[in-house]
Amino acid sequence: MTKGIIVLAQNNKTDNYVEQACLLAMSVKLHNDTNISVVTNDIVPNEYVNLFDQIIPIPFTDSAKTSEWKVENRWKLYHASPYDETIVMDTDMLVLQNIDTWWKFLSNYEMFFTSNVLNYRGQYADTSYYRKTFIDNKLPNLFSGLHYFKKCEFAQNFYTWLDLVVNNWETFYEQHLDGASRPKHVSIDVCAAIVTKILDCESSVTNKIAKFPSFTHMKSYCQSWTDVQSSWQNQIGVYISKEGALKIGNYAQTGILHYTENDFVQNSPALERYRNLLDV
Amino acid sequence: MSKGVFLIAKNNGFIDYVKQAVFLARRIKRHLGVPVTIATDSKDYLIDTFGTQDFDKIIPLDYADNINPRYFFDGSLSKKSASFKNSNRANVYDLSPYDETLLMDTDYIVSNDLLKSCFESNSDLMLYKKSDDIAKVRDEDEFKNISNTSVEFYWATVVFFRKTATNKIFFDLIKHIEEEWNHYRRVYQITSNLFRNDFAFSIAIHIMNGFQTGDVVQQLPGKMMYTIDKDVLWELIDDDMMFLVEKKDYLGEYTAIKTSNQSIHVMNKISLNRIIDEEFARD
Repeated sequence: MTKGIIVLAQNNKTDNYVEQACLLAMSVKLHNDTNISVVTNDIVPNEYVNLFDQIIPIPFTDSAKTSEWKVENRWKLYHASPYDETIVMDTDMLVLQNIDTWWKFLSNYEMFFTSNVLNYRGQYADTSYYRKTFIDNKLPNLFSGLHYFKKCEFAQNFYTWLDLVVNNWETFYEQHLDGASRPKHVSIDVCAAIVTKILDCESSVTNKIAKFPSFTHMKSYCQSWTDVQSSWQNQIGVYISKEGALKIGNYAQTGILHYTENDFVQNSPALERYRNLLDV
Repeated sequence: MSKGVFLIAKNNGFIDYVKQAVFLARRIKRHLGVPVTIATDSKDYLIDTFGTQDFDKIIPLDYADNINPRYFFDGSLSKKSASFKNSNRANVYDLSPYDETLLMDTDYIVSNDLLKSCFESNSDLMLYKKSDDIAKVRDEDEFKNISNTSVEFYWATVVFFRKTATNKIFFDLIKHIEEEWNHYRRVYQITSNLFRNDFAFSIAIHIMNGFQTGDVVQQLPGKMMYTIDKDVLWELIDDDMMFLVEKKDYLGEYTAIKTSNQSIHVMNKISLNRIIDEEFARD
C-alpha cells in the first residue's frame, strides 16, 4: 500500500501557492519519511522539484482559471493522487512533527475529515465566528484542509458527489442552506459537509472525540482573544529556532500549523530555516 | 509524611495580614484539622497581640519595606495606595517544615473541608485554574489567561505541593522569574509593572509544561471562588458569608449575596479585616 500527502497549488495574481506547497514539503521532509506530491499547472522552481515525489498536472483541464480561490479543482485530488492512502493538505500548512501514528489511526477509516481544530494554545478552537453556515444548517463541522482517503468505492463515491456539488454549488446551497448565512461563494468545506449530509456518513468520516489528526487553525477569531485584530501576525510573534522548532507567542507548536495568512511565508523566517536545514 | 498549611503574613502598615493569618489558622484547624505554620516579618507583633497558640511553627522573615505599590479597594468608591509585599513566595518550598504543604493566602476564607483531600491525592502539585466570580455578571477573562495573547492563568492563592525534585525545580523557577520579572513580563505580554504571584506561577507552569498546555500541575478540588475588592464582605457567621457585590455598570451600587460552606478568596482585605475585628471582639 503506497502512502503520501497531496496538495493542490494554483497561483493567482497575488499569491504564490506553489511556494507555500514547497515550504509545506520541506516541513514534511524535516520530520517524516513520507511522500508528498503537488498537483499544479504552475511551474515549480528547480531548487524545489526534488522535494516532491511527483508533480502532477491538474486532471480534466483547469476548472478554476478565472477563479480567485481555485476551489473548483479540489474534487479532482482523489483522481490525481498516485497513492493508495492519501492525506490532503492545504498549501498554507506546516507539518511540525512526525505523523506516523496519524497514518496508523487513519488506516481505520476509508475517509477521514478533521472536525476538531486547535488554537495556538493547543486548546480546541472556537470556530463559530467563521462557521455560521455550519451552525445554522447543522452541517457536519468538517475541515477539508486536512483529510484522508483510501482509494476505495466509498471515497470514489464521495468525491463523485463532491464534483457534482462543487460544480452546481448554487443549486445545492439553495437546497441545503438557510438563506441568512448562505455563503456567496463556493467553499470546499461547505460542499464536503453537504455531501456528508447527503450520504449520511458523518460518523464514518470523522471522529468528534479524537484530538488528532487535527491542525492548529490560526485564523484570528479562533484564538480565544478578547481583543482581536484582523491579522494574527500583528498580535503575536513567530519564532523558529535553527533546528526548526516553531513557537507562536509563548507556545511551542507541534502537529500541523495552518497559518492561513499568505504573507506568513514572507514575514516569518520559516523558508530560510527549512532551506538551511534541508540544504535546499 | 508530615503535612500542614503554610501562611505568609507581611504587614504593610495598612493591611494587617498577621491578624488575617490568625483568623485563617483557626478556621483551618476547624475544617482541615492540620497544623499551620506562619512565616511573618512581624513576629513580635504576632506573639504580643495574638500569642503563639494558633501556630505549629512561627518562622521569622526579615522586614522589608519594598515598594510595589498598588491600590487596595474597599468597595468601588474607596481606595488607598499601599505597598504590596508579595515577594519571595516561592521560598515556601525551602521554608515549609512539612513534606506535604498547602500554601494559602491569608485572605482565603476556608469554610469547608474540601482541601483535606489534597493530602490523599496522588498529585504532587496542585493549583486552581478554574475559578468563579460569585457575582456571575462580570467579565472573567482576566482570570483565563495572564494577558490577551499569553498563557493560561493559574491562581497562586492556594497551592498544594509535596517536596519532590520536580517541585524544587518549579519553585526555583518561580524565584528566577521573580528576579527577572521585567524580562518575563515583556516576554509574556504583561503590560503592568506590578509583580503578581499568580502570573509568576502561571509562567512557571507553562515553562514546566514544555511551553505548551499540559498537565504538570493538577487542579485543586472544586473551583476557586472569589470576590473582587470592589465587593464588600458584610457579614460572616461561622461558615455563612454575606457579600455586597458591585452591580454591573452601576458604580457604588451593590447586590447582597449569601454563601454557605463555601471557601472564598476575599480580595477586599479591608472589609475582611473589619469582619475579623468583629469576630475577635465577639470571642
